[in-house]
Amino acid sequence: MYVQDLLNGLTSAGIYILIALGLTLILGIVGIVQMAHGEMYMVGAYVVYLFSMSMGLPYFAALVISIILVGCLGIVVERLFLRRFRGDVEGAIICTTAFILVLQTAVKGIAGPSYKDIASPVEGVVEVFGARLSWEEIVIILVSAVLVVALLVSIKWTKPGQAMMAISEDLVGATLQGINVDRLSSIAMFIGCGLAAAAGGLIGATFSLEPFMGGFALTQGITVIILGGLGSVPGAIIGGLILGLIDGLLTPQVSPTIASIVGLVIVILILLFRPKGLLGYE
Amino acid sequence: MNSRLYKAIGWLTLLVILCLVPLFMKQNYVLHVLITIGVGVVLANSLRFVFLTGQLSLGHGAMVSLGAYFSSLTVMNLGLSFWLALPLAGVFAMIVSFFTGYLFTRLKGFYFAMVTMFLTMVVQLVAEQWRGLTGGVGGLTNIPPPNAIGALGFDSKADFYYLMLAIAVISLLIMYLLEFSRLGLTLTSVRDSEALAASVGVNTRFYKVLAFGLGGFFAGVVGSFYCHYYSAVSPSSFTFMLSIDVLVFMVVGGRHRFVGPILGAVVLTVIPELGRGMKEYEPFIYAAVLLLIIVFLPRGLISLPEQVRILLRRGTSPSERAASAITRGSHRA
Repeated sequence: MYVQDLLNGLTSAGIYILIALGLTLILGIVGIVQMAHGEMYMVGAYVVYLFSMSMGLPYFAALVISIILVGCLGIVVERLFLRRFRGDVEGAIICTTAFILVLQTAVKGIAGPSYKDIASPVEGVVEVFGARLSWEEIVIILVSAVLVVALLVSIKWTKPGQAMMAISEDLVGATLQGINVDRLSSIAMFIGCGLAAAAGGLIGATFSLEPFMGGFALTQGITVIILGGLGSVPGAIIGGLILGLIDGLLTPQVSPTIASIVGLVIVILILLFRPKGLLGYE
Repeated sequence: MNSRLYKAIGWLTLLVILCLVPLFMKQNYVLHVLITIGVGVVLANSLRFVFLTGQLSLGHGAMVSLGAYFSSLTVMNLGLSFWLALPLAGVFAMIVSFFTGYLFTRLKGFYFAMVTMFLTMVVQLVAEQWRGLTGGVGGLTNIPPPNAIGALGFDSKADFYYLMLAIAVISLLIMYLLEFSRLGLTLTSVRDSEALAASVGVNTRFYKVLAFGLGGFFAGVVGSFYCHYYSAVSPSSFTFMLSIDVLVFMVVGGRHRFVGPILGAVVLTVIPELGRGMKEYEPFIYAAVLLLIIVFLPRGLISLPEQVRILLRRGTSPSERAASAITRGSHRA
C-alpha cells in the first residue's frame, strides 16, 4: 500500500524536480524570477501534442523536439527582455507576468481552450513489490532521472557547467575570471526552459492539457526551490523529493487541499528556522 | 511653498470633480470602473507603504481575503453593523499581519516575497477547506449591503462609489501623512540601509513589522468593502494573482513616488476596459503595455515627463546632462 503511494510520490517528485531545476538555474545564472516558467511547461506540453498527435511523430521524438524548441524560445526571451532585469526582482516579476499573459492567450487562441490528451507512449501496468504502477509513471520517473543525472554530470564535468556554478556563487568574481555571463545566461535559459518543456511533455501523457496548466507548475516549482535554497541544484532535487513524497504519501490519507496546506506550512516553518532554505548559502 | 499650495489646490479640485461624477455619469458601468480603480489605488498604495521598508510583499491577497471573510461573517452571523465591521476587518487583517510579519521579517528579499505568497495561497486553501465557516469553494453569497446612513441607502452604484471614494481619500491621506512624517523617514532609512539604520538605534525589525501590519490594515478594509459591494466572496476572488496585480500597479505606476501606484492603478484598470472590443486577445494589449513600460520606463509611468525631458535634452552637452542627472537623482531616491 505504502509502496504504491511512495511510487506515486516519486512520479510527482520527478516532475517537480525538472521544473525546479530550471527555475533555480534561471534564478542563479540569469538572475531573475521566471514567473512564466509554468507557461514554458505548458508550451512544452502543447508542442509535444502538436508533433505527436497532429503530425504523427513518435512520442519520444516529439519530446526531444519540444525540449529544443522551447529551449530556443527561452533564449529569444532572455536575449530580448530578461537580460536587462538582472537583480531587479519587481521588474522581472512584471516582465515575466506579461509573458504569462502572452503565452496563455496565444496558446488559447491557437489550440483552443478545450482539454487535449496525448496518447501515452507505452500502455499497461506492471507490478512492483505488490504495487501497481503504470508504464506512464515509470517513463516519468526514468526520463526525469536521466535528465537530472545528465544535468548534474554536465555541471560537474563540463566547462560551461562549472562556469554556471561560478556565476551563481559570485557574479562579479566570475566576470573577473573572464566568464561570459551573457552567453551562459542564454545557455542556462535554454536548459531551464528545456527541462520545463520536458516536464510538461511527460505530464501531458498522463493528464490533460489546458492553457492554464502552468500556474500549478509555477507554484510547485517555487515551493521546491524555496525549500531547497535558491540557486542550489542539489537543493532543488532534495526539495522536489520532499514535496513529491508529501504529495504521494499524504494525499491518499487526507484531501489534496489539506495536503497542499501541509506542504506550504512545512515550507514556511523550515524557512523560519533556515531562512536560506535547506541547502542555501549566503 | 507656492508649488505645494498649487499641488494642494490641484488635488482638491480633483476631489471635487470626483465627488460630482455620479451627478453627470449615470451609467453604472462607468461607476463600476471607477470603484474598481479605487480598490486598486488603495491596495497599490498600501503595498507601497510596506515597500517603504524595502520589503516586497505578495501577501496582500491574503489580507484582502481575511478582511472580506471577517467582515461578511461578523455581519451575517453576529449581526454586527457594517460600519463597525469595516474598521474591525482592517484591524483583524492588521493583527494577522503583525503576527505573520513578526515571523516573516527575518527573511529577506525574494524569500520574503515568496513566503508572503505562500501565505496568500494558504489562506485561499484554508477558505476552500473550512466549509462550515467559509462555505468552501462556493464561498459566501447574499452578503447584505451596508446599512443605510443618512442619504446613502446603498441601493445604487453611486452610493457605493461615494463609500469607495471616502475610503480611498481617508486611506491615502493617512498613508501620505505617515510617509512624510518622522515615521516615514525611519521606514525609508530601513530600506536604504538596514545596517546603518540599526547602528543608529532604529529597531529595524519593529518598523518592518509595523509597515507590514499597517499595509495589511488597508488591505483588510478594502476586503470588507469588496465583499459587501459584490455581495459575495469566494476563495477564487483573492488568489495570489491579486497580489501580483497589485504589485504590477505599483511598479508600472512608479514605486518611488507616492502618486505612482495611483497612476498605475488608474491606467492599468482603464486599459483592459478599452480593450474589451478585442475579446480574447485583450490580454495581449495589457501585456504589451506592461512590457513597453517596464522596458522603456523602468521607474514607472510617473517618470515619463522626466524621460521625455532627457530625450529632448539630447542636444545639450554631456556635462550638462550629467549635471541634470545628478540633481534629478538627489531630488528623490
